[in-house]
Amino acid sequence: MHFYLPVAEMSANILIFLAMGGAVGFLSGLFGVGGGFLMTPLLIFSGIPPAVAVGTESAQITASSVSGAFAQWRRRNIDFAMGTVLLAGGIVGSVLGVQLVGSLRRLGVFDFFVAACYVTFLGVIGTLMLIESVNTMRKMRGGTSVSSRRSGQHMWIHGLPLKLRFQRSKLYISAIPPFLIGMFVGLLAAIMGVGGGFIMVPAMIYLLRVPTNVVVGTSLFQIVFLTAATTALHASQNQTVDVALAVLLMAGGVVGAQFGAVAGERLKAEQLRFLLAALVLMVGLRFAWQLIAPPADLYSIGAAVGGA
Amino acid sequence: MPGREHRCAALGLMATLGIGFLVLAASQTQAQKRQKAPPVAKEAPHTQMQEVTREQQPGAKEAVQADVSARNVAVTSSFNGIEIVIFGAVDNSQQSSAESGYYDVMIVVEGVPGRIVVRRKNNVAGLWLNTSSATFDVVPSYYAIASTRPIDEITTEEFRASHGVGFQHLRFTPAFGQTQALSTEDLKEFREAIVRLKEKQGLYIQDNFRVAFIGKSLFRATIELPANVTVGPFETRVYLFREEKLLSQYTVRLNLEREGLERHLHRFAFGYPTLYGLMTVAIALAAGLIASTVFRRAAH
Repeated sequence: MHFYLPVAEMSANILIFLAMGGAVGFLSGLFGVGGGFLMTPLLIFSGIPPAVAVGTESAQITASSVSGAFAQWRRRNIDFAMGTVLLAGGIVGSVLGVQLVGSLRRLGVFDFFVAACYVTFLGVIGTLMLIESVNTMRKMRGGTSVSSRRSGQHMWIHGLPLKLRFQRSKLYISAIPPFLIGMFVGLLAAIMGVGGGFIMVPAMIYLLRVPTNVVVGTSLFQIVFLTAATTALHASQNQTVDVALAVLLMAGGVVGAQFGAVAGERLKAEQLRFLLAALVLMVGLRFAWQLIAPPADLYSIGAAVGGA
Repeated sequence: MPGREHRCAALGLMATLGIGFLVLAASQTQAQKRQKAPPVAKEAPHTQMQEVTREQQPGAKEAVQADVSARNVAVTSSFNGIEIVIFGAVDNSQQSSAESGYYDVMIVVEGVPGRIVVRRKNNVAGLWLNTSSATFDVVPSYYAIASTRPIDEITTEEFRASHGVGFQHLRFTPAFGQTQALSTEDLKEFREAIVRLKEKQGLYIQDNFRVAFIGKSLFRATIELPANVTVGPFETRVYLFREEKLLSQYTVRLNLEREGLERHLHRFAFGYPTLYGLMTVAIALAAGLIASTVFRRAAH
């Protein structure tokens, strides 16, 4: 069964994209991640123009993270003050990112840039996660308890002005670091078609020292609004959001995520992290291959974007 | 938490979306009906064809007439390429049978010309990235040549050059104000790359034996318009030759147009991009909330 995508301007097999949404939804439910870093590459490799893949995927992340954010809100796990500062930065970053996508497309290096971003971030994060999960597994076997959060350390971050009180996080810190982190994540979200949770969560834990119980909720809250803004911006600035494709991915994704969440309860946290790390590295390597391997054809053609 | 209210709200959203989809689906099926019904009705050349067989007079000048199987093709959400039949007849045909090979016919189908960017990758420090590009204007989005015999046997080089027939005679012109100054050889390579890549995408087609006579005056050919074809008007030119000499020429237009849901969405996305973006966001939020409500209830 085929569907002619109105913005991507190609005929797509409905079942393939539903299945793709389902599979990525399953993995995101399993690992508790947004899945953007898996879906955008899959879309690109299946022939969707990279810019359309990135724009459309931000719509799908909005859909998949809103239910999570809602659940976290009901459990009062969102620090709205922190979320708002992160979001403000995020939107600034997203505006910059969407502009950058436009310019890079005009220069014809957007595909390269996306691949390079994926290689860099997935490579670094995948390696860190792999090391961490292997260490944890080894320690668990050795029987020593794993200490979680070191708190009360003073860093240069605490000397910055514009201090705000973040009640839910029990923090009194400057608004500048969360704003900058939000901005960086917003930039990445716009360029890579991801929610940015994989950067946001570690940054909140290790840099801002937000208590882990509010990290996920606050990150999800920020992701919902950030990806919603990014979708609107991509649609209005670059016309690269395909609503038909987004609906297909959403439909597959929400169903897959439910099954993934059930399956996830049967695996141990460090096993999950190990598997996720392996997956992240595989996607990163696939992009690395694209950059290094000699292309089948040196030439490529495309419609002129924005007057070239 | 007020779960009951949330459920009511979600049900309301679901109902709204459901109705929306029904409306869209209805408009789409209508469009498909429109696509299926009219092409047959619109073809009126039967009367002309009868005249052709009646007026066979030896010695009179030959003329060619032609038409296509569908003059208006609807690109709907189910569009997955289409095969067009081009048929025509030679007035005052002198040939004794379909197999005699007395005449040669060449059919050229050309899509809307547009601007295209060709990019070339280069290895920079071990990585492959686009380093140079050329922009061409007047590049046909689609170009197909079908003929009874290879075109260089039917026509002279001068004819092909002056009529812009054949891949090497397409009049791509480098766009004004190129950012990079390109040498003639580079331009030639870029030009060849366009043709090669378009051929690979099934958008440039050359078939030397696609046109066949099925009677002493009647001939036909089928030409594929793939799913990735650009919508718009197409010009179909039919040439009749006898020993490299052009006897007659006939032009038919066919039109590919977006219809139904496809047309609405495309117009919406490019005509009102901000509103379209907000609608997409609203759909995403609604979908996520509905899903969480439905699955939470199922779990209880």
